[in-house]
Amino acid sequence: MTATDPSSPRTSPRPVDGEGKISLTLRVNGSAERVRARPNHTLLEVLRNELHLTGPREGCGVGMCGACTVLVDGRPVSSCLLPAALAEDHELTTIEGLEGPNGELHPIQEAYVEHTGFQCSYCTPGFILATKALLEECPDVTRDEAKAYLAGNLCRCGSYVKILDSVMDARDRVRG
Amino acid sequence: MRGSLVFYHPTTLQEAIGLLGEHGEEAKVVAGSTALTILMRQRLIAPSVLVSIGAIPGLDGIEERDGAIRIGAMVRHRDVELSELVRARVPVLAETFGVVANVRVRNAATVGGVLAESDYASDPPAVFVALDAEIEVRGPGGERTIPARDFFVAFYETALEPNEIVTAIRIPIPVTGSGTAYHKFVSRSSEDRPCVGVAALVHLASDGTCADLRVAVGAAAETPQRFPNVEALAVGQTLTPELTGRIGDAYADAIDTLDDMRGSAWYRTEMVRVWVGRAIETATDAAADRSAPG
Repeated sequence: MTATDPSSPRTSPRPVDGEGKISLTLRVNGSAERVRARPNHTLLEVLRNELHLTGPREGCGVGMCGACTVLVDGRPVSSCLLPAALAEDHELTTIEGLEGPNGELHPIQEAYVEHTGFQCSYCTPGFILATKALLEECPDVTRDEAKAYLAGNLCRCGSYVKILDSVMDARDRVRG
Repeated sequence: MRGSLVFYHPTTLQEAIGLLGEHGEEAKVVAGSTALTILMRQRLIAPSVLVSIGAIPGLDGIEERDGAIRIGAMVRHRDVELSELVRARVPVLAETFGVVANVRVRNAATVGGVLAESDYASDPPAVFVALDAEIEVRGPGGERTIPARDFFVAFYETALEPNEIVTAIRIPIPVTGSGTAYHKFVSRSSEDRPCVGVAALVHLASDGTCADLRVAVGAAAETPQRFPNVEALAVGQTLTPELTGRIGDAYADAIDTLDDMRGSAWYRTEMVRVWVGRAIETATDAAADRSAPG
């Protein structure tokens, strides 16, 4: 027995097809999606280009802005940094996964609309998903705590005051 | 070239080490991938083989063992930050992991990753060096332990052999009567990497004098900087503002500071002078609180 026994799936590379792509199964917004992607494609690229989920956006591409935020097992991560091949076996949630069965908005989305917590809205899906994770972790979050938690989400329109108003209202709506 | 990359998902360390041996320089270990993706995107590295260690069991625990906190290589920064055990036993470690980047990066970046990457501008290395942590690594010849002060060798360079993998880090729990601090000074935005980061441990004797001082400065030079000969100035002494000022001056003189977009070498030297003193003061206050009767 050697560590590089070619018969072992763990010690053989993931099979690549004629186009240099690997086959992946991603669990996105509650359904299992089979996609083909290059081994170096990020989760963001696969979500947008293969699954046509355009809620996550590329902003900085280096994990600093939060526009590409996706929840992985409920925790926000930068999908621009995560190789899609490492996103298997996790529950992925994009902004598209927040809407109700009849297309109704999630209470957090309603709060953002109510307070106009956006201008151009490029950053909004990331802010809303970060807000969702924050409220699950910390249902009684204070404004200052929210400010610290969301410090890594950038809004270049500068809607921060209204975003924080939205988060505080979302807290009350979710907490009931 | 994009597309020439292959992924492996070994489920044992032996397999992972075998793959690294087989592919040599072409292979990189991938854990959280927060640093690796950026380095590949910027074409600073171009591995053709990625060995994911995420499916290997046993690398994701945080436990107390033999007077130390042992943290597995796959533990995420956020899990160190939120760990009740770490907060109770080595609070400075939870605080430091809590100020890295932003919550998204902390949810992905791993403890093994921040060690193996050896980026001079990461926060945790200075704390590991100040607390005399030891890094457990595994290679073809078995396990060995590397003290944190010997682990960081240069820019993005560690004492790891090419086919060795970080498996865990052990951080000794500071003795009763000690206080610790990590001061992260940022020159741009709140979630930026540090311009200068200072980790300090102060152990006060029952008479209030300093029994042990440890100071490690991160992000100022290629590797975390610690000077036992300067630390020794404090032993047996009362940590007066005058003495902490002298220690700050000595660190500022001793460190060959670097230039980057977060600060010039001159500026860093001045920030080292200031923040070494402040970190010692915070750690001293924490030690006094902890050793106060009742």
